[in-house]
Amino acid sequence: MTTGCTLGEMMIATLARTIEDGTLVFHGFGSPLIQLAMHVAKRTHAPRMVLVAGATYGVNPEPPFLAPTTNDWVMDRGASSSLAIGELFDLAAAGRMGRMFLSGLQIDRWGNCNVTALGYPNITLKLPGGGGGCNLSCDAAYVTLWTTAHRSPEDAKGQRRFRLVEDCDFITNLGHRTRDGRTAKELGHRGNGPQWLVTELGLFDFDAEGKARLIAVYPDTSIDEVLENTGFTPGLAAQVETIPAPERSVVELIRRLDPLKVHEKEIRAEDMRRGYAIA
Amino acid sequence: MARTPRPVYTNHDKRTTLDDLAARVADGALVAVGGGLSSREPMALLRAMLRHGVKGLTVVGSAHGIDIDLLSGGGAISRSSESYVGFEQDFGMAPNYRRALESGIVSVDDSCCYTLVQQLRAAIQGLPFMPVRSVRGTSFLSLHPEYRQMVCPFTGEELLLVPAIEPDVALVHAQYGDAQGNLLIQGPPVADIMFAKASRAVLATVEEIVPTERLSELGGVTIPYFYVTAVSEVPFGAHPTACYPLYAYDRRHTALYYEAARKGAGTFSVEYLSVFVHGVPDHADYLARIGGEKTRARLSSWCDGPEAWKRLYLDEAVA
Repeated sequence: MTTGCTLGEMMIATLARTIEDGTLVFHGFGSPLIQLAMHVAKRTHAPRMVLVAGATYGVNPEPPFLAPTTNDWVMDRGASSSLAIGELFDLAAAGRMGRMFLSGLQIDRWGNCNVTALGYPNITLKLPGGGGGCNLSCDAAYVTLWTTAHRSPEDAKGQRRFRLVEDCDFITNLGHRTRDGRTAKELGHRGNGPQWLVTELGLFDFDAEGKARLIAVYPDTSIDEVLENTGFTPGLAAQVETIPAPERSVVELIRRLDPLKVHEKEIRAEDMRRGYAIA
Repeated sequence: MARTPRPVYTNHDKRTTLDDLAARVADGALVAVGGGLSSREPMALLRAMLRHGVKGLTVVGSAHGIDIDLLSGGGAISRSSESYVGFEQDFGMAPNYRRALESGIVSVDDSCCYTLVQQLRAAIQGLPFMPVRSVRGTSFLSLHPEYRQMVCPFTGEELLLVPAIEPDVALVHAQYGDAQGNLLIQGPPVADIMFAKASRAVLATVEEIVPTERLSELGGVTIPYFYVTAVSEVPFGAHPTACYPLYAYDRRHTALYYEAARKGAGTFSVEYLSVFVHGVPDHADYLARIGGEKTRARLSSWCDGPEAWKRLYLDEAVA
């Protein structure tokens, strides 16, 4: 009998809980944790969710296993229909996409993300680019942000390269507020912006001003550890809770959905050792 | 000033060789590469273009990987307007693409998927621009001074105007086509249909050229012939990306590619380009070089069922 779960499974369950039933939800590429979170939500609390797969644009697919690349026929097997690329983004632009999941190599307190380049305009590291994230960050009703690389240990010179940064070098995906202080609402965007930020150290929501606020940590992480690894000072909930472990049935479901353990590619080696008891 | 309308291509027989297709891509062209990520990329055509020594291309697209990375490593690109170029979490960032953009050899002109869709739509409709509500507030405005903002005369909303993109050429690989250039794409078409309609020329490779009636039996035409300039039958023309149902993604070959690219430009040139691109005179030799019938059998085994399909993606299968 399954008696424990991994950090990856803990994060997948946490991400899945951010999905409401009866909404249209989409994911991008390179994000197996999100693919699994969406399939878990669809098979548990959100059966009426419209699950649109990234890259294939298949609607409600039932892949036989998770493939290591997103645009693979594996990933749209069983889909009842497929959307055209323009159609999917039109749905978001017209305000019909309920949730999108986004990430970045830099994420600031407002939920802006950089997936384009470090050092811009004098580029030191060219990142892959954000796909359609820029558009969807403005258009999707809600955004869940995630990263598996919040922890930023000191290097030999005692410097930390934060993932959660004071300022993004380039804003690929818009959060609640731009660099010049205009809010996404003032800009007239349809979406309500980032609602949750799930990391391997904790769970944040965003306060009324649009700033990230720590609301929960894992059984094996602490508020201090989160603060130490964050490039800005996040708000703290009056009561910082502990993220609950998933139910056994959810852990078993994840293992059935991802027999090749593709999602572990997203988890850092040092976090592979983390484990949690499940009820 | 509007360009002359894009032509319609009415020749009855557009069949030609892969080399002839490659030779039609001019230095400095604005190129839309079809397919996406690990699926249905026109890889044989890109390799033939590198053998021809094409230079100075600007590439536009949504989600790309080994195609744009190979063109970067082969020195064919001078500007990238892609939305994503990488190997997802599986292998990581695109090594040749990164080096080319970080060194400044290729200028960074990143875009995003819906912005591109709207720009292609403008071209398809013969309009100079299309509006989007999104993007305002992000750094894409500093990267793209050509974008304009306007206040909607009907609602008073602030909108962003993005200019039409009319690629000089779209490069598409499809499962099937006919002699006249009708194309049938099975599975996700990604942006290929929009690329074909928005581009001044469409150069297509297909797994098999069949009679027009057969296209109907196989599912019907995805891209009508009059958009298509020339077509060449190139079986396995998407390798190492997938062209289902004929063959799956060659993750093993991609791992070999990635390892060579990761080690540096020099190593990539010696270990990959000179073996699989410049070291093979044509596509037939390439097929022999990648393992011929044995590789074809391995990659078509996906249809034996989920267990066989899964085996193609085991880490052990990569080594």
